[in-house]
Amino acid sequence: MNERLMGTTRRPGTALPFSDERHLQAHQFLVDEAYLLDSQDYETWLSLLTDDIRYLMPVRVTTARGAGFDTAPGMAHFDEDRYSLGLRVARFATEHAWTEDPPSRLRHYVTNVRVFDTGDPDELVAESAVLLFRSRGDVRESALVSAGREDLLRRDASGAAESAGHWMLARRTIAVDESVLRMQNLAIFL
Amino acid sequence: MIPAHIYNDEELFGLERERVFGRSWVFVAHESEVPQPGDYVVRRVLDDSFIVARDEGGTVRAMFNMCLHRGMQVCRAEVGNASHFRCPYHGWIYRNDGKLTGLPFHREAYGGEEGFRRSEQTLLPAPSLDSYNGLIFISLDPQAPPLREYLGDFAFYLDFYTKQSPAGIELSGPQRWRIKANWKIGAENFAGDSYHTPQTHTSVVEIGLFREPKAAKRKEGALYWAQRGGGTTYKLPPGTFAERLRYVGYPDEMIERMRANWSPAQQRVIGEDGFMISAASVFPNLSLVHNWPKVTAGSDDEVLPFISLRQWQPISADETEVLSWFAVDAAAPEEFKKLSYKAYLMCFGSTGMFEQDDVENWVSITSTAAGSMARRLLLNNRMGLLHDDKPVTPPLAHFAGPGTAYVGYGEYNQRAMLALWADCLEQPVAAAARTELGRA
Repeated sequence: MNERLMGTTRRPGTALPFSDERHLQAHQFLVDEAYLLDSQDYETWLSLLTDDIRYLMPVRVTTARGAGFDTAPGMAHFDEDRYSLGLRVARFATEHAWTEDPPSRLRHYVTNVRVFDTGDPDELVAESAVLLFRSRGDVRESALVSAGREDLLRRDASGAAESAGHWMLARRTIAVDESVLRMQNLAIFL
Repeated sequence: MIPAHIYNDEELFGLERERVFGRSWVFVAHESEVPQPGDYVVRRVLDDSFIVARDEGGTVRAMFNMCLHRGMQVCRAEVGNASHFRCPYHGWIYRNDGKLTGLPFHREAYGGEEGFRRSEQTLLPAPSLDSYNGLIFISLDPQAPPLREYLGDFAFYLDFYTKQSPAGIELSGPQRWRIKANWKIGAENFAGDSYHTPQTHTSVVEIGLFREPKAAKRKEGALYWAQRGGGTTYKLPPGTFAERLRYVGYPDEMIERMRANWSPAQQRVIGEDGFMISAASVFPNLSLVHNWPKVTAGSDDEVLPFISLRQWQPISADETEVLSWFAVDAAAPEEFKKLSYKAYLMCFGSTGMFEQDDVENWVSITSTAAGSMARRLLLNNRMGLLHDDKPVTPPLAHFAGPGTAYVGYGEYNQRAMLALWADCLEQPVAAAARTELGRA
């Protein structure tokens, strides 16, 4: 993941061994989430987000090496909280969200998962790469979005979250790998 | 009547390249994007790449991004700050005002100034450059009329978006993405398509994001056209200038600055006529939008306005790069700026809940316009006209703004956009002079 975009979450030390239970739980969380997003089961997806969720996808820009930044200052594709994500999900549930009716065929490929101990037993940082394949209709070319993600997972103390280890997504920063997206819109989640 | 194939026709696109984009004023950047000496952004007019930079003296220039020697791009980043641009191919160096200051082995390779006159060379400047309210436009026509003259009466309306205080606007972004749609469709839609709002954007009303697009509300708005651009408005409930601006969510301190900054006629459009500007387009490919959604979970009355500028940058007959900026009055309170940015993200841009459905329509139109059947179909774009070309409803007799305004649905503005387009296509562009470099 590009160094210059990071800094939103603490990521001390080296990644946990793949055999670590926390790695396995975080990895399972991400894979289970990918299936929810593929099937556009957004109500269930929302149930796995904390109330203080911050969901951020900055606009990447091409800058000279050494410029010190590679995102557009003060601009993002997504800069969401629970209210705005809830509205987006509610919109898809109406009968008039034309851009997803007929629905896209989606496949989120999630790989390169690394999980980090944060020092807080109820929080983990997970990094992953995601490739989204999106196909609409029959004659249109399909579209891809490639991105790195840095997530903060927080354990649901109540134990109500229906995920392995009761983890929930508290923060996600999405580093998209294009400055100009080759997709007609982001009526999807990454 | 509009031949459907104009929305996907390679031959016409070639003509547009030469005769629309070869002569029109095209937006490239806002001065707030390059606030400090050395700041630059790289923007295009179709295939031509320009470095828009503020030099050490504070002057903003647009320079053709091509080394005078072998044609390499001298700047391959899209944004940054630099005192000089060094060509990676042979090391020619240009200062941020375009002047050639470094030419390796000048004496050995060219015999010094005798062989190549380095001292007076600059990157090719944009043939014409001009600005209005900090909006920087360039034209590939060196004989282009002054920008203010080109904009004509539309400048009156542009002030609502870009001059809410003496500080002017500041831009963030742009979000950039490619859509498989012809560039004209977005420009026409923003110019005057209030008719699509109740249908295309049903969902944003259903979820409580926006209270206005309902069919009954939309058709009460005025559509205005003023020389080089036009737009749509919403009719607001009864009230004064200040009350109506409060209704869409402006705080009093911003309203006071608008009152001090806008002409009496500009204030009357809101205060007396009761119309609030919404979407608009300037020919050929710059659009603006001003809406006031509900940005936080609260009572239904808590709306907040945002402004977006967007450019429909043609890639080909069937593909457009959208550049979408968030704009806000530079003097606005920080909390307002923060919420206005959220309002923008929810409604427009790559993730906007309005825009998502617009683009779905435009991609579909473009795809269908490619075939032979589209060459047989003349789309009816006569909305608002009777069979004898008289308007269904007469233009407003009393409207404080310049140009012509109608209340109700009609495709007046789309016809005006396409009339300007057709005027361009009918007139060949004079061959541009060539620039020869370095010869003594």
